[in-house]
Amino acid sequence: MTSPDLTTAPTPPASDPSRPGRRLDFGSFWDTWGITSVLVLLVLVAVATTPDFLAISNLQSILRESAYLGIVACAMTVLIINGAFDLSVGGQLALVSVLTLFAYGVGGTGLAVVTALAAGTACGMVNGFLVTALRVPPFVATLGMLFVFRGIAYLLTQNGPATLPYTEVDSPFAQIGSLNLALVPFPFVLMVVVFGLAYVLLRRTPTGRRIVAFGSSPVAARFSGVSAARIRFVVFALVGLAVGIATLTYITRVWTADGAAQDGFELSVITAAVLGGASLQGGRGSLVGTFSAVLLVTVLNDVLVAHGVDASYQNIILGTVLIIALAIDGLRTRFAGVNLLRRSFGPRTPKAA
Amino acid sequence: MKITKKWVATAALATVTATVLTACSTGDTGGSGGDDVASSGGDEQVTVGFSVYDMQYEFFQYMEEGTRSAAEAKGWNFELHDQKSDENEMVTGAQALLDKGVDVLIISPFKPDALGPIVAKAQELDVPVIIDDIGGGGVPYDAIVISDNEDGGAQAAEFMDEQIQANGGSKKVVSITCEPSAVYAARRNVGFVDEIQKLGYDVVTELSGNSKAEEGYKIMKDALAKDPDVAGVFACNDPMGVAAANAIKDSGLSPVSDVVTVGFNGDAEALTAIADDGMSATIAQDPTAMGELTVDLADQAVSGEEIDYDNAEEREVYQPVTLVDADNVADYLQ
Repeated sequence: MTSPDLTTAPTPPASDPSRPGRRLDFGSFWDTWGITSVLVLLVLVAVATTPDFLAISNLQSILRESAYLGIVACAMTVLIINGAFDLSVGGQLALVSVLTLFAYGVGGTGLAVVTALAAGTACGMVNGFLVTALRVPPFVATLGMLFVFRGIAYLLTQNGPATLPYTEVDSPFAQIGSLNLALVPFPFVLMVVVFGLAYVLLRRTPTGRRIVAFGSSPVAARFSGVSAARIRFVVFALVGLAVGIATLTYITRVWTADGAAQDGFELSVITAAVLGGASLQGGRGSLVGTFSAVLLVTVLNDVLVAHGVDASYQNIILGTVLIIALAIDGLRTRFAGVNLLRRSFGPRTPKAA
Repeated sequence: MKITKKWVATAALATVTATVLTACSTGDTGGSGGDDVASSGGDEQVTVGFSVYDMQYEFFQYMEEGTRSAAEAKGWNFELHDQKSDENEMVTGAQALLDKGVDVLIISPFKPDALGPIVAKAQELDVPVIIDDIGGGGVPYDAIVISDNEDGGAQAAEFMDEQIQANGGSKKVVSITCEPSAVYAARRNVGFVDEIQKLGYDVVTELSGNSKAEEGYKIMKDALAKDPDVAGVFACNDPMGVAAANAIKDSGLSPVSDVVTVGFNGDAEALTAIADDGMSATIAQDPTAMGELTVDLADQAVSGEEIDYDNAEEREVYQPVTLVDADNVADYLQ
């Protein structure tokens, strides 16, 4: 189960000559398409039980709602594949939101967009610097920065939250969140583009291959001359850039932000990545899985809200789904481990080979 | 091994589905389906959407009860949405109510500043918006219902004056305010200070406790250190009122007979304290009646009647508040 072909998006079984005859194995199917199957199942349930589920406005709402979570979860998946993760994205989102609203007040739509992207990237570079130059472990560095980013956002909004005043309702900036391109919400289009770029990055560029290589085996990667620090710095900066893009879709829907904005966002993002098949031990993650997991979480929320399920049950159900998904993963890995042991120590070759 | 894997995974999938299905069917029996929402207005049944701040809080549970029962009494459909103290959920859910075609939207906003996109959409669809408490966020809503805060502060001042005269205390009082950004809550202290000064008292300390109990405690401790003969304290909310009472007790004084302590809200902790002689009084808000009032205003807005504002400039309608002391606290406990 440690083969690098599982690290990213789907691999057609035929291109995997190392494991002939295992094409229909449930395990490899689950790795790539498991959470997507659950999503399909959930959508079927939703269609059957929720009368308004297929209404265009409801579908648009789900897609629009997915975007800011999805965009950050996508970058987080790349970071997890590289073997690190970022707990500060909630603080980044709050800080970048506040700065973006301030920038809009000063220089309108153009300055707001530039500020969002620049401030996000800068936050990511700070994390990257701490982790690579100062060698602070990612968990500690980003946990610390979560407080720092939120603290700065609180400081900046001491005299009341940053807001987009109602008089700006017709400005291009306010339209970013509500715009539809041929019925598809613009934020969702952005999310699809981000996933597309991430896929190309990981699969088609040398940098992407280094990100994966370092994640799956840091030692081997180092021996083959991959500069771990540079790569990791870039990936942290990319997470920040993603937060900047996500902020544009988030703040133009909500219009207000302070230090408390989207408390716990980092947990939703990591939940989506983990549901999608990313391993917090690093080196493993799936863009397709994360994409489906983001939609799964949003659809589940939509269905539960539509049925008037109590908020506390909603949390319990989401937590249960997460644990079940990980339990499947854990059990699978354990059995795979047994197989590996048997292969290493046993005298006979595995049946499949 | 393969069989076990498959079995585990299948069972887990089945569990997920079952969980979701159970959740859904539970919701259905709740009867909030609202399948045939008539968005065309006219003489058809009116549907009111109520987006509530957070149903975990008792205050909003009462508000929901008042809103729901008043809507049902009018024979309206009632659609509830819980913002769960989240501005993102607030915008998404309230816009979803509008998408469903509600005829009027009532909302107690978690973040008043996030009302913009909601009201923009409502205006597009020509749906009136009635705001229940918290704040208006500077948007073109049709009406906002708030407690009569200034009158509540004045009631507190009159009560305090009577009690201090009975206690034979000094003419020095303390006023603890909420955070400055809470503009409606600030009126409580304005009403209190105006009235108590008219009655011939000096406000020797007036500070913001940011609505927080621990800050209320500290302000009262410091005020007592500065003026040991302070005779009364008014706090902008009950958590700070109860905390001030504790500070008074910790200084070896009584928060009833030495320093008259009055809070605001009618929270359970304050009511309990009043019943136990641990606090003098609180000004009770009436969230149930506020909910009922929003439905009356919604009715007027839907039928195009003129709304009778208490403050026409800000389109405000006030809900009366009641002073609760040891004499009538029993009516409020349960």
